[in-house]
Amino acid sequence: MITLSHVSKAYGPKAVLTDVTVQFPTGRITSLIGPNGAGKTTLLMLIARLQQASAGELCLDGQAIGQWAVRDYAKRVATLRQTPDFNLRLTVDELVAFGRFPYSQGALTADDRRIIDEAIAFLSLEALRGQYVDELSGGQRQMAFLAMTIAQQTPYLLLDEPLNNLDMKHAVLIMRALRRLCDEHGRTVILVVHDINFAANYSDHIVAMKRGTVRFCGPVAEVIDETRLRELFDLDFEILPAGRGFVCNYFNPSLSPELP
Amino acid sequence: MSRLDARLGIWLLVAALAVAFVLLGSGLDMAYVIPRRLTRLAAIGVAGVCIGCSSVIFQTLTGNRILTPAIMGYEAVYLLFQALLILLIGTHSLILLGRHGNVWLSILLMLGYSWLLHRWLLRDGRQNVYLLLLVGLVLSLVLSTLTQFIQLKVSPGEFSILQGFNYASFNKAQPLQVAYSAVLAALACLVVRRTLPVLDVLALGRDQAIVLGVDHLRAVSVQMAVIAVLVAVSTSLIGPTAFMGVFVANLTYTLARTFRHRVTLPLASGVAMALFIVAQYLVEQAFNYNMSVNILINLVCGAYFLALMTRTRGTA
Repeated sequence: MITLSHVSKAYGPKAVLTDVTVQFPTGRITSLIGPNGAGKTTLLMLIARLQQASAGELCLDGQAIGQWAVRDYAKRVATLRQTPDFNLRLTVDELVAFGRFPYSQGALTADDRRIIDEAIAFLSLEALRGQYVDELSGGQRQMAFLAMTIAQQTPYLLLDEPLNNLDMKHAVLIMRALRRLCDEHGRTVILVVHDINFAANYSDHIVAMKRGTVRFCGPVAEVIDETRLRELFDLDFEILPAGRGFVCNYFNPSLSPELP
Repeated sequence: MSRLDARLGIWLLVAALAVAFVLLGSGLDMAYVIPRRLTRLAAIGVAGVCIGCSSVIFQTLTGNRILTPAIMGYEAVYLLFQALLILLIGTHSLILLGRHGNVWLSILLMLGYSWLLHRWLLRDGRQNVYLLLLVGLVLSLVLSTLTQFIQLKVSPGEFSILQGFNYASFNKAQPLQVAYSAVLAALACLVVRRTLPVLDVLALGRDQAIVLGVDHLRAVSVQMAVIAVLVAVSTSLIGPTAFMGVFVANLTYTLARTFRHRVTLPLASGVAMALFIVAQYLVEQAFNYNMSVNILINLVCGAYFLALMTRTRGTA
């Protein structure tokens, strides 16, 4: 269980998070949604220990995250950040192998090899194994990085906008993979996602943020409705039932033709 | 397999060059010529390891392929110290301190400078390598200007002595100095050897390194200390090399075709040694000492690197 109590974060005089108290349920996919500048990524970076909170307490499995040794924390929580530029000369295989670093410190065992193979097979990346990461397309590269994160075999996965700049197919592939990680392997997944439809259709739990505070949170079915989303995004929403799940239409909702 | 060929090839080349360097035109004079050449060869070996390793590690830490540790101002500290000695004590200082006194003081000064810089900028977890680079660059500019200021104040005779410090040269090397330089460099290399896998992870950047369980601040501090030792040793041994390391590191990446430091660090050392031997041979035999190693290496490597970039359309 990851819990945050009264967490604040400020860069100089600018407050990015103010008094955030929230829990992330174990064994579920939680989507952090909200407009730009809401503090979603900052919140994720605090949990990943890539930044430090200005105030408040973050706990992982009942222990303050600052008390975990760096190496042990890497065996509990894996984080995937956006990878805009990557100019290292290494293959997909070598990249995924880095996921085993917290365990093997660079000297791969047969066990590590097996886990790397499994992670690559899990995302069906066998054909890309020998290719260089800097020569892959954006979608393939994101899949390769996800494979590394999976190979880290942590109970918790944090992903910062994993669907950014991806085509529809790769976006669906990534979300399906996350769903399977959660359902088949019992991993807890927390991700920042901008596409409200992916958030609504693939996750179990929603944490909605705006201007550094949590506006609402809870199971998808309970919290996704037109009023809440309109208040959150300052946009009109129309929620339409689909064959499976539902579609949040904000492109051109029939309710009101004009924006506020 | 080409990876293995490059590694093996560079050491065969270094060995062949070393034999040629020592024996060609020596008249097999065991009393004077060959021992002197062996000393210079040993200095080339130590400096090769120092410059090759420090450049590659520095580029890994900064994630930047056009930098060398020179940007941090270590060499500027060395040159300012030499200029101050001449200004304050005059040419007597060379005799007063002795060759080794000067060397040890220089090394200690450069290490102290590096320690202060890190203490100041990497304190309280502000983990900003770029700030470190910027301050290092500004400091090295300020120190170089001070050095130039002093150079204009001293007499023409003293000025020519100071000019001598500006260029890398293997001719100053003395056996005892080469020996203790080698010991210091070996100690630094032992530390690097133990942290090779961590260096590979650091190459992925700060965030990814932390995610993979590396104590980033500590790891960077250790590597920066190693770089300071290597640069201090090579600068006090052969003088400033400025941006020679850029060529060495980039040639290494092209030859190695991998980012693994287990491969790149020895290869970079080999590349640096090969370049130094060829340059020193030309300085001695072709130019009769009227040329500096810096100029030759920058000329040859610059041309080679440009050719490489055009041929591979910039993927080198």
